Parts: sequence; C-alpha cells; structure tokens
Amino acid sequence: MNLRQFREITRYPSAIIGLIIIIFLVGLSIYTVIALPYEEAVNKWRGGDRVWQDNPRGVPPTWVNLFRSKKLPESIIFDTATDETIQKQVTPLDENLTDIVYTFQFDYTADEFPQEIILFFTSTFEKKAPYISLLWKTPDGREINIGDFSIERAYTRRISQDDKLAKELGGPPEVMLFADPNSEERIPLKGTYTLEIAGLAFEPESTFNVKSIIYGKVFGLAGTDHLRRDLVLGLLWGTPVALAFGLLAAVITSLLTMFIAATGTWFGGWVDSLIQRITEINMMLPVLPILIMVGVFYSRSLWVILGVVILLGIFSASIKSYRAMFMQEREAGYIQAAKAYGAGDVRIIFRYLVPRIFPVLIPSLVVLIPSYVFLEASLAVLGLGDPIMPTWGKIINDARVNGALLKGQYYWVLEPSFMLMLTGFSFAMLGFALDRIFNPRLRGM
Amino acid sequence: MTVDAQADAVTQARYDTLKRIGKYTIVRFFMLMFAVIIGVYITILVANMGGYVDDILRSEIRERIAIQISLDPQYKELSTEERKELQEKLVALEEKRLGLDKPFIVRSFGYLKNALTLNLGRAQNMTSDSGSRQVKLIILERLPATLLLFGTSFLLNFFVSLFFALMLSRRYGSFWDRVVVALSPTSAAPGWFYGIFLIVIFAAWLGILPYGGMVDAPPPEDPLHYALSVAEHMILPLLALAISQIFLSIYSWRTFFLIYSTEDYVEMAKAKGLSPRAIERRYILRPTLPTIVTNFALAAIAVWFGAIIFETVFNWPGIGRVYFQAIGLFDTAVIVGTTVLYAYLLAATVFLLDIVYAFIDPRVKIG
Amino acid sequence: MNNDTLLRAEDLVLYFKTRRGLVQAVDHVSFELHKNKAVVILGESGCGKTSMAKAILRLLPRNVGEYRGKILLNGQDVMQLSDEEYRTQIRWVKISMVPQAAMNALNPVIRVGEQVAEPAIIHLKKSKEEALEMAREMFQNVGVPVDFLTRYPFELSGGMRQRVAIAMALITKPDLIVLDEPTSALDLLTQANIMNVLKTIKWETGTSYILITHDIATSSELADEVAVMYAGQIIEVNNAESFFAEPLHPYSQKLMASVPKLYGDEEPDFIPGRPPSLLNPPTGCRFADRCHLRFDKCDEEPPTFIVGGHPVKCWLYEQEASQVIPPVSAGEVS
Repeated sequence: MNLRQFREITRYPSAIIGLIIIIFLVGLSIYTVIALPYEEAVNKWRGGDRVWQDNPRGVPPTWVNLFRSKKLPESIIFDTATDETIQKQVTPLDENLTDIVYTFQFDYTADEFPQEIILFFTSTFEKKAPYISLLWKTPDGREINIGDFSIERAYTRRISQDDKLAKELGGPPEVMLFADPNSEERIPLKGTYTLEIAGLAFEPESTFNVKSIIYGKVFGLAGTDHLRRDLVLGLLWGTPVALAFGLLAAVITSLLTMFIAATGTWFGGWVDSLIQRITEINMMLPVLPILIMVGVFYSRSLWVILGVVILLGIFSASIKSYRAMFMQEREAGYIQAAKAYGAGDVRIIFRYLVPRIFPVLIPSLVVLIPSYVFLEASLAVLGLGDPIMPTWGKIINDARVNGALLKGQYYWVLEPSFMLMLTGFSFAMLGFALDRIFNPRLRGM
Repeated sequence: MTVDAQADAVTQARYDTLKRIGKYTIVRFFMLMFAVIIGVYITILVANMGGYVDDILRSEIRERIAIQISLDPQYKELSTEERKELQEKLVALEEKRLGLDKPFIVRSFGYLKNALTLNLGRAQNMTSDSGSRQVKLIILERLPATLLLFGTSFLLNFFVSLFFALMLSRRYGSFWDRVVVALSPTSAAPGWFYGIFLIVIFAAWLGILPYGGMVDAPPPEDPLHYALSVAEHMILPLLALAISQIFLSIYSWRTFFLIYSTEDYVEMAKAKGLSPRAIERRYILRPTLPTIVTNFALAAIAVWFGAIIFETVFNWPGIGRVYFQAIGLFDTAVIVGTTVLYAYLLAATVFLLDIVYAFIDPRVKIG
Repeated sequence: MNNDTLLRAEDLVLYFKTRRGLVQAVDHVSFELHKNKAVVILGESGCGKTSMAKAILRLLPRNVGEYRGKILLNGQDVMQLSDEEYRTQIRWVKISMVPQAAMNALNPVIRVGEQVAEPAIIHLKKSKEEALEMAREMFQNVGVPVDFLTRYPFELSGGMRQRVAIAMALITKPDLIVLDEPTSALDLLTQANIMNVLKTIKWETGTSYILITHDIATSSELADEVAVMYAGQIIEVNNAESFFAEPLHPYSQKLMASVPKLYGDEEPDFIPGRPPSLLNPPTGCRFADRCHLRFDKCDEEPPTFIVGGHPVKCWLYEQEASQVIPPVSAGEVS
C-alpha cells in the first residue's frame, strides 16, 4: 500500500466522481452539524405547529415551477410585528377608542390558487379585546368583507375554514377570493390585491398585531411534509446520520472481522474451529428479522441498532476469505522469523498479519458502507427508525404512510431517495475502483 | 491393464467418490442442524426479548379482560371487590392458556422443540385467508407467492448474468464491457429502493402498470386472465430486483472469468488446439463454477431477507409481508414461525450448496 | 536450408505493449532446427526465451505490440495461416509443448487421463475410448502408473505431473515439441529421470525438440545444438560438442565458467550486473556493459558473423568471419 497506488485512483473516472460526491456529502454533514446543532435540529423537527406554522402543508419545492407551465403560488406573508414597512394607520377616535388599520398589498401572479389563508392575531388589552374587520380588495375593483370578529390575546382566524364565508362566496374562500369572475373555469385573477385589517381597540394601551399568511403551493428548496416541516432540515440532518452509521458500522465490523479471522488462523486448533462454528451459526441468523424484532420489542435507538448490526456482522462469511489469505501469509518467511525470535502471538497478529492484508480490506470496506446506509434506511422505511433523529428513511416512511405516491407528492419520496442514491453510489463507485487497484488478483488488468 | 480392468478401475473410482461425498454430506448435515438449532434458539430469545414481550402480553390481557368485564351485562351487578376477584381469575386463566404462568426460560425450550419440529402453534392475532389461526397454514399460504417472485427472479438473473458475463469476458475493454463496469455500483441499492422509483414512474406517473399486489382486485375468474394479471403485477418487482442485482452479477462473473482465463491451464488448452468454445466451457466455466454458485446462492439469501421490505413496498402477498404484519401486531408466534422458516430455508440452501460443491470441485470430493 | 530442416525461424519479432512502453522480448531472432535433433535455447531469466516459445507456438497475450517474421515448418510459412487454420493444422498436430511447472498447466477439475486424451479426440478424431487407450500407452512410455489415468492433478506429485505433461505432448505424435524449462521445478533425481525419458522418446520416435532452459548441466544431456539468447537476441549458435568445449561469445564463455566443476578447486565465475531491460534496449552490443572483453567498437551493434559455419554476434570475430549478416537497424522498430 503506497502512494503510487492511491494515485492510480485518478485513472478511474468513476472513482473521482464518487470521491467528489463523498467530499460534498462530508462537507454537507460538517456544515449541518455546525449550522444546525443536534439539539436545535431535533427540537425543531419535533416542534410541531409552533415551529412550522408559517409553511404550507405537503408542497413541493419552489423550483418545480421552472418545469411547469402553470405556475404554483409561493406563500405571501405579512407580519406587522416584524415588518416596519407595512402601512399602518392609527386614528384615535376618542380617549379610549383607537382605530388601527393595517393594509397589506401584494401582487398575485400565479396560475393556481393558494393552499389556504390564515391570519394570526396577537393583541394586548386589559379587559376588552379589539374588534377586527377584514376587507378584501381584488384587482378588478371588487371589495369583499371577509370577517368581523373579536379576537383574544392569541387568536387564529382560518379564513379557508370559514364555512359561512364559503357559502357566501360560493366556494372555498382561498379559491373564490382569487377567482376570476369573468372566466368559466376557475382560474385566479392576476393583479394587485389588498387586504385591509381594521381593528377597533377599546383601551388606550390596547393594540394588536397580525401575521397574515396566504399559503402557497410551493416552498423552499425541498418542499414540506405533512407536518409543514421544511424537508431541507430532514435531508440535511439525514446526511451526517447516514454517513456516521454507515462508516461506523462498516469500519468496526470490517476491522473486527479481520482480527477475528487472523486470530483464528494464527492460533488454529479449537480456536479456529470455534470461530468457524460461530460463523456458521451466524449465517443462520436472519439479520433483518432480528433487527426488526429488536426495533419493535426493545429499542429503536440508532445506537442500539448499530450495536446489534455490528454484533451480527463480525462473524460474517467474509471471515472465510480473510482466513484463506491469512493461511497463505502464515507460512511466509517473515512470520516464521518473528515466531523464531520469540514474538508474542498478539504482536504477530497486530503488527505483521493484519497490516499485510489491510489493503485488500479497503475496497470491501468502502463497498460495505452503502449496504449499512441502506440497512438503516430500510429499518426507517419500515417505521422502525430512530424515533428522535430525522433520517432519510424516516422521510420516506412518512411519505409512504401518508400516501405520497397516490397524492402525487413525488418530491417527498424522490428527494430522500436521491440522497440515499448519491451516498450509496458514490461509495460504491469509489469502492469498486479501489478494488481494481488493491485486489492483487485484479491488478494485472 | 486390459480395457475391462480399466473400466473396473473407473467404476471403483466413482464408487469411492460417492462414498466420500456421502460421508462428507452426513457430517455437513449434522453441523448445519447444530447451527440451525442454536440459531433458532437465539431467535426465540430475541423474539421474546427475555420475557419483555411477556410483560406486554400480560398488560394487554389485563386491559382486555378489564374492558370485557365492564362491558359484559351479566357482571354489572358485581361489587368492586367481586369484580377484582373475577378479573384476577380470568387473567390467570388467560395467562395459563397462553402459557405465561411458567418462567420464560422453561418455555423457551418448549418453543425450541416446537419450532424445530415445525409445530408452529397458533397465531395470537393473525389469521390465514382460510380463517385458521395455525401459524403453519398462515405461512404456507403465503410461501408460494414469495417463491414465485423470487424464484423467477433468481433463475432470470442467474442465466442472464452468466450469458452476458461470458460474452463480456471475451470482449475485455470493449464499450459494453465498460458500460457494465460503470454501472456495477448500482447494486449498492437494494431492490425495494428501485421499486419505489419504478412505482413512481410506471404506476403513479405513467399509469401503465399496477402499484402493487399480485393480482387485480377482484381477481379474474378464468386461469388465463388470472395468470396474465399475475404476470403484469410481476413486471415491476422483477425489474426492480433485476436492476439491483444484474450489473454487479455480470461484473463479478466477468471478472472471475477474466481472472481464471489467465490461468496457465487455459493457455495450455489453447496451445493444445482446443476450440475457443471448448476452452470456455471446460477450462474457464467448469473451474469457476463452484465459486460462482456459492456467490450466487449467498446473494440469493440476502435477497430473501430483503423480501420483508420488498414485499411491503410492492404489497406482494408473500411471507415477507406476513412477517412485517406480524411485527406490527406483536404476534410473537408468527414472527418466530417465519424466522424458523427462514432459518430452515437458509440451512437448506447452504446444505444444497455444499453438496453441489462436492460434486463440482474434486478437491472437495477427495481431499 | 535442406530437406533435413524441420523448422526455420527468420527474423522473428515479438514485442509487448505495456504501460511503460514497448517490451522487445524477441528481437529479430533467426535459427534452424533439423529433424530428430534437439536444439537448446540457453539464457538467463528475462532474456526472452519463454517469449520465443510463445512466438513459435503463436500463444500471444492480449497486449501484443508486434508479431512478425517467418516460421518455416517443413518449408511452409505457418505465420501466414489464419488462427483457425493454425489451430487445426499446427497445434499439437505438428508442434506441441511441455510447459514450465506443469502444476498449473493441468485443469484442476478434470481427470488427467482425459486431459491427455483431449488432443487425440480433437486432432486425431479418435473416440473417447480409443483416445484413453492411447493415453494409457503414453503413460507407460513416460513411466506413469496406469491407474493414475482417473486421478486429478492435485493428487500427483510434481514429477508425475511433468511426466503427464510430456505424455500429453506426445499423444498426437507431433514433429516438434517445445519444452519450456521442463525440469527446473523438480528435484535432481526426477530431473535426471525426465531427461532420460526425453532421450528415449527422441531416439524411439524421431521427434525433434526445442528445449528452452537456463540450466546448462541438464541441457547438455539432450542437446545436439545450442543457441544462446541474450536480451531478446540470439548471440551464438553452435553444435553442442563444440559449444560446451569452446564457447565463442564472451557471454557464453562466462556462462560455461559459472558452472561449478566436480573436480578442482576453482571457484565458479559469475557475471556482474544484470541483463538490460527489454523496454529500452541499449544501442550497441547489449552485453557490452557486463563484458570483460569490451572494446570501443562495442558501442555499435555487432552484425552476426558466421565463424566456422556458426553464427556469433560479437565484434571480436570480425576478422575470422566467412560471412557477415548485418544487424537490423534501430529504424526498423515501428
């Protein structure tokens, strides 16, 4: 194993591509771990409505509009609490009453209707809450009153679920408020819309803020899932989880397997036989079923699964091939010499036998990584993934359980699958190229 | 030596060979049985998590009986004291029925004996199509579907890979050779992974093939249409399995053939003037066969296990899907039963492999 | 060339393409073999002698760079034959081979009897029974017990396997057998036995041999003629008696001097340095760097001088030469 062999990698384009992708994934993992620390990410992922409320539910990423003739709308959000530029008119009527009007003006250019319309109110008052009036102005000059109501300190007004309004308008509010009255089909009227939120405050100190969200049908880089979560979070965090699991499992298993094979070959006798028998028994153990059982009955924590996977993997059938190699090495001159000068068994195994076979280990190790990545994904797809961490398999499972394919939400399944594919293929490409370099039997080619 | 004596010598040689294979077979059989026993026992231990599942069952029973009592009109009159007493009595009865009154370790050996004799007992929650609770029936009902799918896939992949690998080994470095080499990493992804993509493309988007299942619902009456429907439903799963295996298979075998074709005896055969076909058959294929068969069988075993997810993704009514359902329903009996079946199938495959190996590789025959 | 000539190689060239360049393994080699004679090709490892065996037998690897020249077998240039013609007309019919280290030359999963019988079935169109009968006869000729017919190669000792290989080479009664280091992997006693077998066969069947080896001692038993090969070129050819008594080329002289003598206190000689790489052979005489008799003319590649009817490729013999065959100029390497 020397530098020249590593430089050989440059001769294989597949290896270079694989390597580039791996570096990208590792970089992504590092970025994710730093920019979105674990605690924070997990809290967010399980945060629920409070965290994700601003996002539409189950929508594809914004860039799908590049491929569509009929453009889907993006969310339009106005938040008086944070946005200073929103037009606000405060008119005191008398010593107690104050009229506060917020005006939201926006252009609607999409070819489809929004998903829903929700207004989130927060207000301050002692005894009497402000009273709100909503006025909707369409580009063609129509003015529609869409609600008169009193609010509380925290109040959510779901325009889309206002049945009375729906009856009045003759259809779902989020559609009818945008629908072109002159058209036979239901298509949105494009142009400048205005939403006037007029509130009557009954106390001098009383005021209110409102966040109005007209939910679009696309969101972000990766879209959202059924809980409105930005899938980017799941996709990003899936990367270090997948890489760590795959690497740890592959490396630990391969190293241990090699050492076990070396020990068995070196000591021979009953040690060797015992190892052979254990290997055979291990072959009988159905790995996936056992993992599933552990996941269902015991714990789904990723660490436990990792442990079991390693335990089941170290006596794998590759012991036989390592054994064959070690058998050859055992008779080598330098080994006999070491034995002659009194080197201990452990020393011989660690310092002589193993390092010789190590180069052959590398390609199989690299190729092993994707199997473990997919194994973890498999468990997650079955619903047995780690309950806390967001992983790619988890996303696929959510998608499957929520009927994503039947509802046409392909992105939900395709994006994590794409990440899995990227990871799996990059390591596989690299591993195969390494195999052609390091495998002594293949070197002649 | 006369011709007759020579014929005798050959017969004697063959007889000796058979005797040695016989001995070898028996030894392997016992070793494998030993491995199966231990493997199954470990599985039983795991399936019950050393009694953890018992606790789940116990609380489940308790709850069920409590509800049962509260709903049953004939118990309405009872006082809380009496009710409690009745509950304990019924719970104890139920536990006895399921054998939970004895400690786990003792029961585990009972399970082991039953499992090994394929007396797989009764399912706790699941039933077979015919309404039986017998685990054996539940499994046997589903086995043909799995065998149909995976058996077909196995045979297809085997022969297609063999054909193309031989073809490619003759054209080392050619365009197709490099295509296959470049595509071999596609086998990093398991079958179900490609299955999802295929379903998205052909079922969801194009709508020309079914989403899953084995036959249309309701199934066609006459056998021809039934068979066609099954065939239609098999297309996507077979395709998914093929994609996930074929490139690596072709690549590995072609590499094997290439390596073995650099052996000295192959050059010797060429020098002797054997035709290229004859060389391929007797000097490359024959010596490589043991390794190829082993590799392929081991790969097939891996696919076996993948069936659990695969069948779930495709909603294919085989034992993989049964397994998955059993796990969801905490039905230990079915879980253990299916696992035992897996273990037996595994052992049978390995055993068959060993025998085939013994016949093909003379070094095993004699040495 | 006369009717006595079985094989005549003229300007045989075999170059290999490797990542580091063109390996000129066989560089314009010419020699002649007469009927029922054994010519020994003598040389160190890496001088190209095995490649020459392959060149004669047309056993070319995938990375052939150049392969040309004339190989006249009984007057017919077999280089002109197509691969299929060569396979059916020449291989094992006219020329067969005993390889180095027969351990690997035998198919491990087929019984040795069948392997020996194979050529008879293919080329002589015999039935399986007839071919096995012939194989049995061959086994007897080479001294292998007949019940080994049903054995597998791994059940035989090295010496037995080599004898099987010889039996296999004989079964079609070819005109010429090329033997590549037939005894180098064997112990001395077996070596002597095998040599005896070869001598007997030559005497009984009239077969001719090309024996390729580095072992002077054993080759001297069988040789009628000796051709010395160095760095891909033939540098001296002589009949065996003359050669062993008085080698002409300095390299040959050193070779002979390196053989330990049974009697006397002389230490065997050795040649310092290593043979040149066949990747970029030096211009000028290829042995010059190691030659103890080197002089200024050696910077130029020597032609082949015919001295006393035998070729020597050394400037020392310029005066004595009755004929001069100019060397192939470097420009001919394409």
